[in-house]
Amino acid sequence: MKIVKHIPFIIAILFISSACSDYVDYEAKENFEIVADAYFYSKEDYESAVVGTYDPLQWMYLNVLIGDIASENSFSGGESATDVIGIQEIDEMRHTPTNDNLTSIWRFLYEGINRANYLEENKDKLEFDGKEALYGEVYFLRAYYYFELVKFFGDVPLFTERRLTATDSGTLERASKADVYAQIELDLLTAISALPNTQSQKGRVTKYAAQALLGKVYLFQDKFAESASMLENVIGNYSLVPNYQDQFLKAGENGPESVFEVQYSNDSEWYDWDFVPQGTEGNFGVIHNGPRAFSGPEYATGWSFNLPTPTLVATFDDGDSRKEASILDIEAFAAETGASYAEGYKHTGYYNKKYIPRAGESGAQTELNYLTNYRAIRYADVLLMAAEANNRNGNDTKALDYLNQVVERAFGNTDHNITASGNTLTQLIWEQRNLELSMEGHHFFDLVRTNQAANVIEGFTAGKHEVFPIPQQEIDISGLTQNPGY
Amino acid sequence: MKSKFLLLLFCCVSYFVNAQTFPISGSIHDDNNIPLPGVSILVKGSTNGTTTDFDGNFTIPNIASGDILIISYLGFVTQEIIVSSPNPLNVQLEADLQALDEVLVIGYGTQKVSKISGSVAVVNAKSIETLQPVRAEDALQGQAAGVNVIANGSPGTKPTVLIRGIPSYTGTDPLVVIDGVQQTLDDLNALNPGDIKSMNVLKDAALSAIYGVSGGNGVILVQTKSGGRNNKTVFSFDASTGIQEVANTIDVLNASEYVSILNEASSNAGEGLIFDDISSYGRGTDWQDQVFVEAPITNFNLTASGGSENTSYFISAGHLAQEGVVGGEDKSYFDRTTLTANFNTNLTDKLVAIINTSYANIKSSSLSENNINSVLSNAINFDPTVSPYDANGNFGTSTNITQEIKNPLALIDNSYNKNNTNKLYGKLELQYDVLDNFKITSRFGYNYVDIYGKDFTPLVFYGVGHNNTTANEDLSPIVTVSPDGEETSTHNRVSESRTNYFRFSYELFGNYDFKIGEDHSFETVAGLTIAKNQGSNVTANAQDIPFNSWNYADVSAATGDLESQTSGSWQYVKRNVSYFGRMNYDFKERYLLSASARVDGSTSFGKNNKFGVFYAGSLGWVISNEAFWNSETINYLKLRSSYGTVGNDNIDPQFATISTFPKYTFDGNIITGSTLQSIPNDDVTWETQTQFDAGLDVKFFESRLSLTAEYWQKTVDDLLFSPTLSLYLGTPDYPAANIGKTKSSGFDFSIGYSDTSSGGFRFSTSVNLTTATNEVEEINNGDKFIWGSGYGIPYTNLTRFEEGYSPGYFYGYKTDGIFQNQAEIDAHATQDGAQPGDIRYQDLNNDGVINADDRGEIGDPFADYNIGWNLAFDYKNFDFMVFTYASVGGDIYRAYERNSNYTNRFASTLDRWTGEGTSTTEPRVTFVDTNNNIRPSDRYVEDGSFVRIKNIQLGYTLPDSFNTATGMSRVRVYAQVKNALTFTDYSGYDPEISSGVLDTGVDRGNYPQPRTWLIGVNVKF
Repeated sequence: MKIVKHIPFIIAILFISSACSDYVDYEAKENFEIVADAYFYSKEDYESAVVGTYDPLQWMYLNVLIGDIASENSFSGGESATDVIGIQEIDEMRHTPTNDNLTSIWRFLYEGINRANYLEENKDKLEFDGKEALYGEVYFLRAYYYFELVKFFGDVPLFTERRLTATDSGTLERASKADVYAQIELDLLTAISALPNTQSQKGRVTKYAAQALLGKVYLFQDKFAESASMLENVIGNYSLVPNYQDQFLKAGENGPESVFEVQYSNDSEWYDWDFVPQGTEGNFGVIHNGPRAFSGPEYATGWSFNLPTPTLVATFDDGDSRKEASILDIEAFAAETGASYAEGYKHTGYYNKKYIPRAGESGAQTELNYLTNYRAIRYADVLLMAAEANNRNGNDTKALDYLNQVVERAFGNTDHNITASGNTLTQLIWEQRNLELSMEGHHFFDLVRTNQAANVIEGFTAGKHEVFPIPQQEIDISGLTQNPGY
Repeated sequence: MKSKFLLLLFCCVSYFVNAQTFPISGSIHDDNNIPLPGVSILVKGSTNGTTTDFDGNFTIPNIASGDILIISYLGFVTQEIIVSSPNPLNVQLEADLQALDEVLVIGYGTQKVSKISGSVAVVNAKSIETLQPVRAEDALQGQAAGVNVIANGSPGTKPTVLIRGIPSYTGTDPLVVIDGVQQTLDDLNALNPGDIKSMNVLKDAALSAIYGVSGGNGVILVQTKSGGRNNKTVFSFDASTGIQEVANTIDVLNASEYVSILNEASSNAGEGLIFDDISSYGRGTDWQDQVFVEAPITNFNLTASGGSENTSYFISAGHLAQEGVVGGEDKSYFDRTTLTANFNTNLTDKLVAIINTSYANIKSSSLSENNINSVLSNAINFDPTVSPYDANGNFGTSTNITQEIKNPLALIDNSYNKNNTNKLYGKLELQYDVLDNFKITSRFGYNYVDIYGKDFTPLVFYGVGHNNTTANEDLSPIVTVSPDGEETSTHNRVSESRTNYFRFSYELFGNYDFKIGEDHSFETVAGLTIAKNQGSNVTANAQDIPFNSWNYADVSAATGDLESQTSGSWQYVKRNVSYFGRMNYDFKERYLLSASARVDGSTSFGKNNKFGVFYAGSLGWVISNEAFWNSETINYLKLRSSYGTVGNDNIDPQFATISTFPKYTFDGNIITGSTLQSIPNDDVTWETQTQFDAGLDVKFFESRLSLTAEYWQKTVDDLLFSPTLSLYLGTPDYPAANIGKTKSSGFDFSIGYSDTSSGGFRFSTSVNLTTATNEVEEINNGDKFIWGSGYGIPYTNLTRFEEGYSPGYFYGYKTDGIFQNQAEIDAHATQDGAQPGDIRYQDLNNDGVINADDRGEIGDPFADYNIGWNLAFDYKNFDFMVFTYASVGGDIYRAYERNSNYTNRFASTLDRWTGEGTSTTEPRVTFVDTNNNIRPSDRYVEDGSFVRIKNIQLGYTLPDSFNTATGMSRVRVYAQVKNALTFTDYSGYDPEISSGVLDTGVDRGNYPQPRTWLIGVNVKF
């Protein structure tokens, strides 16, 4: 009788007990999350993952800033000597392995590489039309990221098979620069064979972009013959815009001179200051270049970093349209328009006009959302690289042809055309390179590549400053060796 | 013959007795004059006795003069009264706070205090009533040994509660169990402290292991009030009101000092003067004075409790309104309305139903706090030469400061947000007495929270060119025209969100108590729990609010285009299944033994480790119950010790997931991409803490003096950790892994004394002391540490959780005075950028170069020990109490200085270096700080020790004559000062800085705890 009375309890206990082990099982889809095992089963998944691989290109604003700040082209600037201290240190060639800006460059580049490798890892899960061309984009991007790494850090860990997982932490060593370059070349050659000459969507990598990048990669290794012939593929497929400065305006984006351009948008409403630059679709570099506390027409206020130096400004000859297009003389501008501004740290009176915040070109959170694309490889750059490769490979005729196309466009006439040869010509090509490409993030690496850095950059120690230090955090965690001198 | 004689004798005796006896009546009440029903009254040495009725009255016949009445009642001191006349007796029973046979609520049952061999601290209703906390857990500060509460000054904000050290960094909140239902510390925001009967803190594994994986940070058991059976309804009304104010401000430069320092800094950097005529500035604006207000706080509580033979009830309604001392009024407030109904009824003679229901509504608004953009940070750093308002009545703006820092009054004015929280929680419980000693409990507990939040970002003007300015001076949108003629405008923005949390638990367990023979007592419990915890949120944003006005700030009123309307959502779910059991055994209440175990399953754990087992055992020896014990002085002595395991499952479920967050732009359109977001760890498991506790409880002089001392130790061998992995793995989320080890140990000590002397003078005092030492013993994450928190712009890392150190210690450079001249710089290790007048940093690794490797421990934010001291006097109708709290040995890092060229500076700058021999502590001022004098260093570390008089209260209970006249049963009025006085060397607002464990002691302009002046009244009728 008593037992009967307790049957409901007994049943309840048995019922609950049997349900229990299932009860603590959990599937990610309960929270609408997509699990990796269920991915890469459609072409769209692959296409999305490729878009994801492009994404880190947008985080490279520091790479561009440092390309000039580390050189004699520009000063760090900012609010004060402690504003973005990593940039201040680099400007004065006193950077150390503990530099948050260099650390983030390192991580972002490796995120790009891992995203590319994740596609490599899943390459055989599905076959579909256009897969080869799609992977051409992936290999280009991986090469682009590795090239940035080599430029900044020299020897770096090299891996291509798959995205690394937690267990890979601390297991890799630095591969020699030569090995990394070999992989970059391999990836670019694969990309060249797979990519179309043109893409229907602006911003996607083309075969020419891959050829231009490979030409550049060869040039960085002093492989002049390979560089010259590779760049030759590109020449003739683009043109220089007649008016130099047009290409740096919004209307000039993805124009006839653009070989490879990192795309930005001001349409995103999403922003989170704790997640910059990954969380923005805008160009975060642009706000850095803006005039401090600016109020006036045409431009918008910014943080007064990356200030062109009087040295740079003085290198432009009279009549060179590139001076007006590259440099904003804020004092003259203010006098003319009544605009107001404040002087920041290391104020020079000059701002980087190519990537300056322009009125109305940003979105929801102004500082994060400038639409300004980064013109990573311009046709003028290709011509100048081809000129240099030919010159240093003994073909001055071709070199002068390519060089003078650039010079003529700059001056709008042939009066300033160059006729030198040999080493003199080399020197002139280098000078034209900076006049043409200043404030676009190339100069420091060109100076290093051409062994001029120690002569030009104050505080530059040969044998040390050619590369930046491996982040201390990485050395501590992963046991990598440090670059000499740091 | 013989029998007749006996009969006669009996008659005589009877007659004699009859002749000398009389009935006696009387009433019995407690010290609040509340009648006590059911009190047992027994004539000593006889079986003659009775119990009091509903109104506390009794009558006993056949009493002889000289008889002794023993009056006893659970929870009160037993009294013996010699009857000398038939006059009615009026007896007041004293509550027995030290009652040895007091029964305490523990997990899934109760236990006599004298039989507990684990570690528990109790805070009762009386101390909560006198402390008048806004949040219940504030009442634990200094009242319970082993519990460290770091209070928070911001209205309604959760304090940091650490029960016995910091074994884990993933979360330190103890488990909160309200009337048997598991809740969280956050839920105490909705609990009216006036409804609490007691809070029992379970400190060791012996008592908390029955909560298994949830018990790792200790357990706070909260019992709410209930009515007593057969009690007529007692109403009580409590009200208090007062003013809160800030006790001290931070010394910064006034306008004249500011301009001359800035001129000096500029010229030291080789630049021109900033201000031409420095004599005209005067003191300028004291921004701190501008933002601090005297803020009111009021609290009302109305309760009714009582019961009939089969039902008892407790009903309460409370309202608390608190404004913040920063901003105040409609910008910073916490308003809480609570309604509670606790019913308890016998459905049959064996089946009891308990229904507890609480509703809370919280309305609040807050200003930015405890960060570089907070109101206080702006008040400390903003330009003192600016007037609060300009000539047109607009907020003053600075021409010098154009980044982040702004007029704090404008910031307050531009801050618009509100939160409305509705919360319903409680339980439905059935208790079925299968046998007298076998009870089955079926309990359904629930907690439903609905939070509506709204946030409005208006168009604001902080000065021309200020980076936070989004409007023209007349607050119209800034319209810009791009070179190709396209117009864009700035926008205001509103965000509305709804967040729901729902948690339920179902528990089924049986308690079976039995004896084997006379001397072997057993109390057992076994049962199971299933629980689910889920939350979800939907947020909508829109722009272009009409009139740039808070009045129209709503998504429905926004006029922005569709593209500007965005939305988002999130959700989570977590489920647990657990089985538990415990057995307590004692032999003649001398030898105590307890063992408990719990098996926990959780959705949080990796596939390969779904269930964990936690267990504990404890032993006790009540020496004073031994036959040989005959000490008069020491009337109670117990030794006890426990050992066991508890856990922590503060991790997320483990999966390799794809993120669709990555995006890129093609053809000018943002295209959604994807990549791997997180990597799982299928082996991840709960943190298991092993805890050891040994203590003794002693009572002297008939329990007037009591003392408890305990030593404890906790170790975690499998600390949950998201390791810092190689940076070349990129930026995905890495899984938690069990890779660390920590050890904490400390002493809890408490001593109490209470005495009632003749003449109505009562005195009681108690002191408790808590120490805790924490050490991270091992982190296998590669670099042996993780960064905790940091501060400033640019963001600078400061605290670390590192192998071999105390958790959350401060990490930075050690200073070694000031370079007085170039020779000193040359003689020192290479320190890039140093000039005479700059700080000399120590070369900790002796490599001849000052660099990042020379950083080390510069401070530890956690106190070496905390002391709470209560002192109370009662004399006749007056009562007086003082509570003092001290925290000794904790460091504070001063992180509220913005340190940019034009922001204001700490007043110590006046003692700066200006030439050889002028200062050895304060560096020169300069606009070009090539030495980076502001790097994290011991220069910013201050001793945060303090002694604070937390509470002073003086009360007066109106005389009985008043009660008779008005029909009240008790009326007490009081005056109170909270945070009356603080003794500290710390230069900031408040040395108590509450935040996450790895953020403790970092003062970013921390919201100070106000000094509060209160008057109040307690009425019972």
